[in-house]
Amino acid sequence: MSLVFYLFFAIIALFIVVFFWSLRKPKGHTVPGPSSAIPQDLQGSHVTHLPQIRRALAPADFEFVSKKIPREALRRMQRERRNVALAYLSALRAELKRLLRTARIVASLSPEVAGGQELERMVLTLNFLCRYWVIQMSVWAGFTPLPQISDLGDLLSAYSVRLEEAIRELGERAAMVAEMVSSPDRRRIDPV
Amino acid sequence: MRPQMSEIATLVRVLGDFSVCFNLALVFLLLYRKNYRIYPCFLLYALVNLFQGVVLLASKRLWGGDSAALFKIGWGTQGLVIIARALSVAEVCRHVLAKYRGIWGLGWRRSLAVAALVLAYSWAVGAHRWQLFAVTADRSIELAIAAAILALLVFAHYYQVVIEPAARFLTIGFFLYSCFQVLNDTLLERWLQQYANFWNLLGTVTFLASVLLWGWALHLIQPEATSPPELLPGDHYPLLSPAINARLKALDEQLGRFWRAEGEKT
Repeated sequence: MSLVFYLFFAIIALFIVVFFWSLRKPKGHTVPGPSSAIPQDLQGSHVTHLPQIRRALAPADFEFVSKKIPREALRRMQRERRNVALAYLSALRAELKRLLRTARIVASLSPEVAGGQELERMVLTLNFLCRYWVIQMSVWAGFTPLPQISDLGDLLSAYSVRLEEAIRELGERAAMVAEMVSSPDRRRIDPV
Repeated sequence: MRPQMSEIATLVRVLGDFSVCFNLALVFLLLYRKNYRIYPCFLLYALVNLFQGVVLLASKRLWGGDSAALFKIGWGTQGLVIIARALSVAEVCRHVLAKYRGIWGLGWRRSLAVAALVLAYSWAVGAHRWQLFAVTADRSIELAIAAAILALLVFAHYYQVVIEPAARFLTIGFFLYSCFQVLNDTLLERWLQQYANFWNLLGTVTFLASVLLWGWALHLIQPEATSPPELLPGDHYPLLSPAINARLKALDEQLGRFWRAEGEKT
């Protein structure tokens, strides 16, 4: 009896927390119109900085420098290298977030949305974040998993390029539809 | 103790009269501002609520506050009120999301499923005392309504749909009212008789607060209709969504490989 009593209080407390969280204004503000919703230019990606990051984290560099500079400076260098890796990781995450936002906008502005696709994306995003935190923590702990960071960058880069291609193609189609809408003979237009 | 109980009973009576007046004002506001065109089910809900309030007031005068007849009328009309509220909540949710056909199509099914699940769970947990049938049923339905509102709000938040202020206040009113009703029913179930007066007081105060919120929401509604968003052509989603998911899957696999490598290392 008392368990049921407290259970309902706990459920309502949880509901209220989630309720106020969901009432917060989304960071991206509102869902924009289709023309401005999808970023046309995905350039300026953080992934393009990967060669510099790779260079900064290269073990050969570290070995060479360790013979030339005092211990204190070496430690400082290690710390700075770690900060570079962390900054790069967080930039990659921000980029992933931006791309996910694009996916959400596409979904919200689509006349039909597949539940399976959306659920799959949510699960994948959750998995990604969990594993991402593990990489981040291992960097914090002093490891520099360079191949993994590199893979992560490559994947994001390929993802951006693929998405950019698809968006360009869609943009061309949207422009065509807009042209048809503005033409006087509207009977030919199939809405949506 | 006795004087305290009678004071609570008097307060409940006064607040009950107030809530009938506010409810009447809400109906007038709905009619005067022609908000019923946007929210017809909300008008129905306000009318059913008003009907219940008037019937309860009349019954109290006729048979007194503690009569069995009043109890039966109260819980009997509560069924009507709760159905009207469920309809009204569905209407507000539709108003928020229906402009986005795709996510609304997905959202209402998910929301209904969540509500059904919560209803079944709540009923299973609380249905051990058949003498409390009405309280258990009321709590289950209120919890299901709260869960449905929450599911749709989470949906709107996830897809970055901005809820207009009027709909936001209506939703807050419905959600908080349902939540407090669940808490009230839970307390009533435990302390039944000793708590009855206090239960009435909390119920009336919660209802009054919700009516004020709804009144404020109706005051905010702009008469001019907002234009629906321009949707993308139908082939965009099937093209983009699988591509994004495939990329995420690959990304996830890479991270998984790293995870395994780390495990082997340690």
